[in-house]
Amino acid sequence: MDRIKVFQIIIYVVAFFVIARLFYWQFIAKVEGTFESIISDSFLPAPRGEIYDLSNFPLVTNQEAFLIYGKPHDLDQNPEEVAKTVAPYLISEKYATKSAGLSEDEQKKKDEEIKAKEEELIKRLSDKNLFWVQLGRKLPKDVKEEIEAKKIRGLGFEPDQKRFYPEASMAAQLLGFVAFDKIGQDTGYWGLEGYYDRKLRGKPGRLGQETDPLGFPILVGKYRPIASQKGASLYLTLDRVVQFIVEEKLKQAVEKYGAKEATVIIAQPQTGSILSMATYPTYNPDLFLEFDESLYKNPAVADTFEPGSIFKVVAMSAALDLSIVQPTTRCDVCSGPRQIGGYEISTWNKKYYPNSTMTEVIEHSDNVGMTFVSGKLGIDKFYDYINKFGFGRRTGIDLEEESTGFLREKKDWKTIDLATASFGQGIAVTPIQMVQAVSTIANKGRLVSPHIVAKIASSDKEEKINSKEERQVISPKTAAQITEMMVNAVENGEAKAFAPKGYRIAGKTGTAQIPVSGHYDPNKTIASFVGFAPADDPKFVMLVRFTEPTSSPFGSETAAPTFFAIAKELFNYWAIPPDENK
Amino acid sequence: MLPVSDFKIQKKNNFNLIGKIKVRVIVIIGSLVAFSFFAQLVFANNIATDGQKLAQIQNEIKKLESENTTLKVKIAQESSLATLTQKAQELNFRRPSKIITP
Repeated sequence: MDRIKVFQIIIYVVAFFVIARLFYWQFIAKVEGTFESIISDSFLPAPRGEIYDLSNFPLVTNQEAFLIYGKPHDLDQNPEEVAKTVAPYLISEKYATKSAGLSEDEQKKKDEEIKAKEEELIKRLSDKNLFWVQLGRKLPKDVKEEIEAKKIRGLGFEPDQKRFYPEASMAAQLLGFVAFDKIGQDTGYWGLEGYYDRKLRGKPGRLGQETDPLGFPILVGKYRPIASQKGASLYLTLDRVVQFIVEEKLKQAVEKYGAKEATVIIAQPQTGSILSMATYPTYNPDLFLEFDESLYKNPAVADTFEPGSIFKVVAMSAALDLSIVQPTTRCDVCSGPRQIGGYEISTWNKKYYPNSTMTEVIEHSDNVGMTFVSGKLGIDKFYDYINKFGFGRRTGIDLEEESTGFLREKKDWKTIDLATASFGQGIAVTPIQMVQAVSTIANKGRLVSPHIVAKIASSDKEEKINSKEERQVISPKTAAQITEMMVNAVENGEAKAFAPKGYRIAGKTGTAQIPVSGHYDPNKTIASFVGFAPADDPKFVMLVRFTEPTSSPFGSETAAPTFFAIAKELFNYWAIPPDENK
Repeated sequence: MLPVSDFKIQKKNNFNLIGKIKVRVIVIIGSLVAFSFFAQLVFANNIATDGQKLAQIQNEIKKLESENTTLKVKIAQESSLATLTQKAQELNFRRPSKIITP
């Protein structure tokens, strides 16, 4: 046999073995498990939808952030060193954002927090049974870059977007915040984030693709991408300029009047659109953990309170609508205190106005005069109108924490309950219910339930949100009559000195004592003012409510001036000129 | 009956013909195999390059998306009312005292 033939045989044999081996790997062995290392089945997070104001400015948007993880086996430094380097970046953001100018006490707390974080990281990174450990979440981009610059092998980052609030704490109670649920997923809590969580969160996707050892995708391999769907975005009826004005004025007013808390709601009566909803004190949704949990709920929809005299417009509307009284009807029991069901009913300032008209009863905020009205109405009719105005049940506003208020069963009402309810005692309402009721008067007697979202838009569809309920409660004639009474109350009532000149404003003050353990505390009041302007063509309805003002307990001296101060700014903003003849 | 010499010539011719056909078949098959190997090599090379290109495009998309997010945040931050109010104060802007309507 010559050498060429021997060489040929060797080539054939080698080729046969190579082909046989490849055949084995490809078709027989299937190499289970080994392929997993080159099939990257990655999770594609869905960006959360944004929240925009009336002018399409983002009140809540997303910013880049990162999850930091460690691989204990791959670390090129010991866990103690890594923990010491990384821990200062993973503590509360309140220290990270103001690294300079910390007080001694704050610096001490910061050091303690760093130490605790270091211990936690050492424990996690020392567990060699774990391939991957999460060290921190929602790290800002600059922090990620700083850690990367330390070049620690065994640490890595994954995208982990976080919420960003361009207007900081503006409308915090209305917007709510995003936190982790039990399995570490972003979930909306409170306000709009809570109510619309399922719409905002979107659908995460997956990317299953084979990659070569260098990590490049193999195009002939399996490629099964399921694209993530960004959450739907909310477009609100809220006007950030109005919100800004309100929050600024509210903060000043709370400090001036020494109130415990204050809430303002501004709505458009014809559409039920909420233009502003503010509470002070508030919190920063970006650092929500640093604030007391009691601040999370939105008092404008969650709080119930005895409305006091602002409720008189509801009782009077009912009596006018049934033609039981007219604006000129005179009160024949208003000459002094009245005994009803064993209780004495008196006026707030112990002043009495015999034979006053119904217009004057509202002007003087006369409790005795209101008992005259409710006596004529009777329990059944008054109760029906309270229901028609939407008290005792939710308005249906698209916010998570709305409560129903409290209205006792009709069968439990006695004569004294009828009398006290006519001036807003013995029933509990929410601020938003009160705004809905006064909006009904401003809107010619037609109730339009309030809503805050105008439109929900996702990549493939757009959904317009309308009011859930719309119905006639009182006649337009009654609405006009009660409006005139409210205008008269502003122009001749206790707060007339504060009202801006040249505008017809309809309004009513309210001062309600707070019930504590079965009796009313004379030193603790809820001072309020509700009204709308311009009275003949209302652009807005506004409620101002102070809890426990200390400078003066009365709505006419706290809530009313605040109402007028905000109204002046709104007239300016919406270019509503004053009537020079007034 | 053919003379022996003619029979030998014919047999030789037949063998030559079969041999020629065999060679052609082998050449064709060989060429096909060689072409297939070459084509596979070219395709494999292209695919490998395309995979790399895809990875580059994906990275580019991620980078642009990230920049887009950062810029959106920056625009929102710069045009927030808190920032605008501060700038207005620095520039001594005044609140309008009169309403001017057309």
